[in-house]
Amino acid sequence: MGFEKRMVRMATPKIRPLLYGMLGAFGVGLSFVALLMLSQVAQNSENFDRLADSILWVNVLCLFVLLLLLIGNLSKLYRDYRSHVPGSKLKARMVGMFVGLAIIPLLIVFYFSMQFINRGIDTWFNVEVEAGLDDALTLSRNALAMQMRDHLAATEQIAERLKLTNSSQFIYEIGSLRQEIGASELTLFGRNGRMIATNSDQTAGIAPKGVSDELLMQVRQNRPYVSLDPLSDGSYEIRTGVPLIGGRNLDVIGTIRSRFIVSQRIGRMVNSIDSSYTDYKKIVYLRAPLKRTFSLTLTVVLMISLLASIYGAFVLSRRLVSPIQNLVKGTRAVAKGDFDTQLPIPTGDEIGFLVNSFNEMTRGLSLARQQASMSQNLVEAERANLEIILANLSTGVISLESNLKIRTANKAAGAILNADFDGRAGDLLSDVAADNTVLQELYDVVKKQFDKGITIWHDQIVVHAIKGRRVLTCACTDLSSEAGEEVGFVVVFDDITQQLQSQRDAAWSEVARRLAHEIKNPLTPIQLSAERLRKKYLDTMSSKDGEILDRSTHIIVEQVAAMRDMVNAFSDYARAPDMEISSFDIEDLINDVVDLYKEQEAKIKIIFNIKTPIENFDADPGRIRQMMHNLIRNSIEAIDSKADGLINIIIKPKEINKIAMIEITVEDNGGGFKSQSLGQVFDPYVTSKPKGTGLGLAIVKKLVEEHMGSIEASNTKNNGALISILLPRNEKTRETIIINSKKNQDNGRALV
Amino acid sequence: MRFAIQKKISTVMMLFLLCFALNVSAQMRPNHEGYFDVRSATTLLVEQDYLLDARLQLFLSDEALNALNSGVPLTIELSIEIIRSRRFLPDAKEEELEFQFELEYRPLSQRYIVRDVQKGTQDSYATLFSALNKLGKVQNLILIQNSSLDPRASYRFRLQALLSTKQYSAPLRILFFWRDQWDLKSEWYEWQLQK
Repeated sequence: MGFEKRMVRMATPKIRPLLYGMLGAFGVGLSFVALLMLSQVAQNSENFDRLADSILWVNVLCLFVLLLLLIGNLSKLYRDYRSHVPGSKLKARMVGMFVGLAIIPLLIVFYFSMQFINRGIDTWFNVEVEAGLDDALTLSRNALAMQMRDHLAATEQIAERLKLTNSSQFIYEIGSLRQEIGASELTLFGRNGRMIATNSDQTAGIAPKGVSDELLMQVRQNRPYVSLDPLSDGSYEIRTGVPLIGGRNLDVIGTIRSRFIVSQRIGRMVNSIDSSYTDYKKIVYLRAPLKRTFSLTLTVVLMISLLASIYGAFVLSRRLVSPIQNLVKGTRAVAKGDFDTQLPIPTGDEIGFLVNSFNEMTRGLSLARQQASMSQNLVEAERANLEIILANLSTGVISLESNLKIRTANKAAGAILNADFDGRAGDLLSDVAADNTVLQELYDVVKKQFDKGITIWHDQIVVHAIKGRRVLTCACTDLSSEAGEEVGFVVVFDDITQQLQSQRDAAWSEVARRLAHEIKNPLTPIQLSAERLRKKYLDTMSSKDGEILDRSTHIIVEQVAAMRDMVNAFSDYARAPDMEISSFDIEDLINDVVDLYKEQEAKIKIIFNIKTPIENFDADPGRIRQMMHNLIRNSIEAIDSKADGLINIIIKPKEINKIAMIEITVEDNGGGFKSQSLGQVFDPYVTSKPKGTGLGLAIVKKLVEEHMGSIEASNTKNNGALISILLPRNEKTRETIIINSKKNQDNGRALV
Repeated sequence: MRFAIQKKISTVMMLFLLCFALNVSAQMRPNHEGYFDVRSATTLLVEQDYLLDARLQLFLSDEALNALNSGVPLTIELSIEIIRSRRFLPDAKEEELEFQFELEYRPLSQRYIVRDVQKGTQDSYATLFSALNKLGKVQNLILIQNSSLDPRASYRFRLQALLSTKQYSAPLRILFFWRDQWDLKSEWYEWQLQK
């Protein structure tokens, strides 16, 4: 994750909250639409007729959506509560609280609204108004009843008059009769209901309506008929019907029907009363449905509001609890070590401030951890680097604890001390040194200084290894913690034997060169002068003096010759002619040398073994010949006059670090080297033999090193000396050795 | 303990008796649900028009009657469908006709008015019986012109009489929707057109 900030993921996938949100917005939107429509309807009832279906479906859909949301939310809350999801209990409490806060006022408002609606509608129906309307209706009826009686009486008078006259006369008098009684129409129907004569104040051509069944039925029963008929134009008409009696038996022979229009003024008033009464009755009838409708509307509004409030409670509680849940998750993540947790900042309120503080805390922790990690990495890198340095350092380094327990030791330490420090960390240095004489000698020095209380010291110590005396430069310093407490020591040492040897070699070369130069020059004049003296004065002297002169000059010449030999030997040691590398058969070369000495030293047995034929050996044959001469001569001188003298020469190929070498060993039984001077056998003028200049092995070493080889001297078990020489097999391997040597020198310098 | 058991038994008995009494009273209650029925219907070709003659039996429910007497006008609707018979396909509804008649009570004149909504004409009757009788006697109601029908096709007519509530306000309609007594309609009466 690195330095990137990671946002805490919520429990649910991102699509579900989006869907819930959309559904919720849709539901709440529908609620608003439904309430708006209901409000419109409340303001104007005509709108209800137009919007009724829409309101019904919107409300049903709204209730469905809200119910769906509530069920979803409730089930989720229940699951969370059962699963002990952090924040679920708080959420449940908050939802309960919000719902309680919403329900109680809603129910109170609902109750009082219902009371208001019921009582308010009831107050519309005043008993006095109803009684007044009843009275008005009765009065109108009575007023019209008088007119109806009058008109019926007039119609009956006409029927009475026609009874006395011929009915056919009626056809001629009908018009005057209609006008006489003030009817708008007067019609005579026959016995079968067929129209006989009619007269109307309407325009001619409009046929009068037929007689109605109920009029005809009543007249046939010889009963007069009168009715008040409302017309489609809002006016009223009084219709009367009376039987027409005639004939011999005075039977009903027809029907006289008259129609009277109620005057417009009265008709309008009567119509108004009729309409008012009807409307009032209609409202009375509609009272119960109206109450039910309002109650239903109010209930729907209550339900929508209630469901919306509960859903709102869920949304609000979720918004409030969500940051707390995030904080809990974030805290748990931090507890698990995830300091990269960053929480979304919900709002700018106190919870937002808290979340912001949490984010700052995690940022700080993350930064601190990153810095610590970087520091640790740096330390690790430094440590690794140091380990690499120590591992490749030619200097031995041993770090010790304050109680001289080994903490670390590099490879060079093991190589110099010929000890194995692998897996010995924590062991006492004394324990490790118990079976190692070299390390024991070093430990003795360290312990001695430690016992004295000296923690910082520098010394050059001589230890005695199997291969001889070694000189070590040794330095010790204490390790102190930041608090100044001493936590251990570091002992640094280096094998400077080779270095000292080189210095000695260089010094001896210089001495030899100067000696050769300074001494050789006067030798020839001395010799010549001595010979001249002898030649000039020997003959002139007495025999006694001549004998003295002859002996003296002879001694001078001999000593000069000896001195010249010595100077030549020094000269050979000092001079470094160019190498003449060529391929030759070393076996033949050594055989030649050995054969030479076999003849001269018959008492000494010289054995030359070559186990594997050496081919393609490149070297300077002159130098190799001189080397072999010196070695054999050195052995012969060591054996001296010892009986059973034996010189064993072995040549065999050898591969060291994948570099082809040949090994030449010359072993004798001449008594070996003194153990004290084992490390100095290759120094000039170091010799344990009665004869010899002490330059033989020094020259051999020089010749070997000129071939980039190595030489070692040791004593054998048979109290003899053993010289081991490793020479590169050819020019190529020699170059490899030179390159490696150069690399090692460079690395050593760089590491140091 | 014994007293408690007796009390429980008596409670169960009381509940049983109450249920029985309610059931009996429900059975004894007179049927005032009302019903509409088409007794007969036929079409006559007069000149170029097909006229409908039908006899209906109309009984109003208590609620409808109560509404009528309270000044709420009732609308009786005659719904007629002319269906063309087809041999291989479903029958086609050629025409749908609606005839509405309004029945109203006027308290001042104490008369029932029957109004032809389409024509605007009206008649008044002293009794509800007369008014319903008048409504139940359909005569010479012009349905369709003969030229509008395919002479080769076979037609049948369907007639249904129903109490329409479309003209009422929405609150009333919603309430009427849940009340059976306002759901007055006859079965469809079908007859074949005789050419």
